[in-house]
Amino acid sequence: MILALVLTAAHAMILLAISPLLVGLIRKVKARLQLRQGASVFQPYADLVKLFRKEPVISTTTSWIFTAAPFVVFSSTLAAGLLVPVFISHVPLSFAGNIIALVYLLALGTFFLMLAGLDAGSAFGGMGSSREAIVASLTEPAMMLSVFAIALTAGSTNLSTVVHQTALLQGIVTDPAPHLMAFAALFIVTLAEAGRVPIDNPATHLELTMIHEAMILEYSGRYLALIEWASALKLTVLLSLMANVFAPWGIATTPEPAGLGIGLLVYLVKVAGLAVAIGVIECMFAKLRLFRVTDLLGVAFILALLGLVFFYILRS
Amino acid sequence: MLSEMGSQLIDLCSALLLLTCFAIVAQRRLAACVDLFALQSAFLAGTAALVGFLTDNHHVYVTAAMTGVVKVIVIPVVLKKVIQRLNVKRELVMNVNVPVALLICGTLVILAFFITRPIIPLGHVLTRDSLAIALAIVLIGLFTMIARQKAVTQLVGFLVVENGLFLGATAATHGMPFVVELGVFFDVLVAALIAGIYTNRLQDAFDSVDTSHLTGLKE
Repeated sequence: MILALVLTAAHAMILLAISPLLVGLIRKVKARLQLRQGASVFQPYADLVKLFRKEPVISTTTSWIFTAAPFVVFSSTLAAGLLVPVFISHVPLSFAGNIIALVYLLALGTFFLMLAGLDAGSAFGGMGSSREAIVASLTEPAMMLSVFAIALTAGSTNLSTVVHQTALLQGIVTDPAPHLMAFAALFIVTLAEAGRVPIDNPATHLELTMIHEAMILEYSGRYLALIEWASALKLTVLLSLMANVFAPWGIATTPEPAGLGIGLLVYLVKVAGLAVAIGVIECMFAKLRLFRVTDLLGVAFILALLGLVFFYILRS
Repeated sequence: MLSEMGSQLIDLCSALLLLTCFAIVAQRRLAACVDLFALQSAFLAGTAALVGFLTDNHHVYVTAAMTGVVKVIVIPVVLKKVIQRLNVKRELVMNVNVPVALLICGTLVILAFFITRPIIPLGHVLTRDSLAIALAIVLIGLFTMIARQKAVTQLVGFLVVENGLFLGATAATHGMPFVVELGVFFDVLVAALIAGIYTNRLQDAFDSVDTSHLTGLKE
């Protein structure tokens, strides 16, 4: 019981602690590839501290949703993060929800963010929310299908069971072809959900292109800090999901100190590797026109669907 | 028989080929389509080398090396040269738009899987998935030839079909007889060169590489 509490607390602390670092790492990779010095990888921490100290300004036209949304977004994302194995394959909270709960906890955060964008009644917020609705409605089926493709291999929708079984296997992964399809789909979904480059550009406040930044334009002070932290957390959760579901090598399968240490170290390397990949992609590709986003998310949907098709046709 | 690990690796490589197929279907820029084809051919060369290693067939290494030279370097360079002369860099109008094309390709893959499913347990196929994936790649390549209007992307479609056939042959037969493979390589190289010249002629005659111009009669 005490062990479970300690592990859960450590899990939450790690997610909260490394999420700004990942954002900083992506920015640094991007800057170095563009031959810029770039800010330190620890800059996002300084930004968060600064924002938490500032006084928030709230528009008089907003309702309670505006002030409640940052807390809902933050806590739902953290709750989702607690379901994803990070350094140990059996998460103590795994009884609380499966992979489907994870998808919809993330969707709950997106939903409240869209409401908050609409709440202030500004043109930008509404525009951002409507765009986010397009993206979210296109990513959700792709995400669900890729998640089902994983669940079918392991025969369980519980993430801890999935990761635990894959970690104990001897081969590379259970089933490479459908897993590759699901991984590619989930990677595109991550780029879309976390608002990264081919879909959205987190580095700009240009009204023609912004999606996530448009929704949170009215926020300031500690509310903005919470939302920024939550979006970094969402990226971390999605990257952890990819790292540990598709490549759970090295993760601790029993709660022993040495195994946990190795598990944590391997996890950090894997997540950092994925973050570097995202940074490289941000340099290589231009942001897509909004109406071309359907092309990319269509690819994600079809790939995820194919992951399932492998099971229903070739494996039956 | 192959080890589980080796069979999984071949499956993984075949799946990478299928993945690049979908990237080609969704890609509008001509130069990027050619790059993706080169990437797909690189995966194909990797798969062939892997098959050669796992089945201990040494002539498959030669085939893999030739795939590397012809399809990863020569043909893409020739096509890039052709694209440089063109006045279009991306394909804006297609016979079928991208999201619909993706859905159709998904259906084609399902079809290919259904067709190959009864065959796989009968023959001595190397892995579970590669024959099904090879057929799927052939169908997607054919569809790309139909769905696109520009001569260059139609040629890429043709080359994708060839890649699919090659993958199927390697996975199903542990590599064809060497003479046959040489002949096929020569055919593909010549076909790509002829199609490159043809594209240039098309550009000169119509000031466009849209093959639909060829359906109308000129006075």
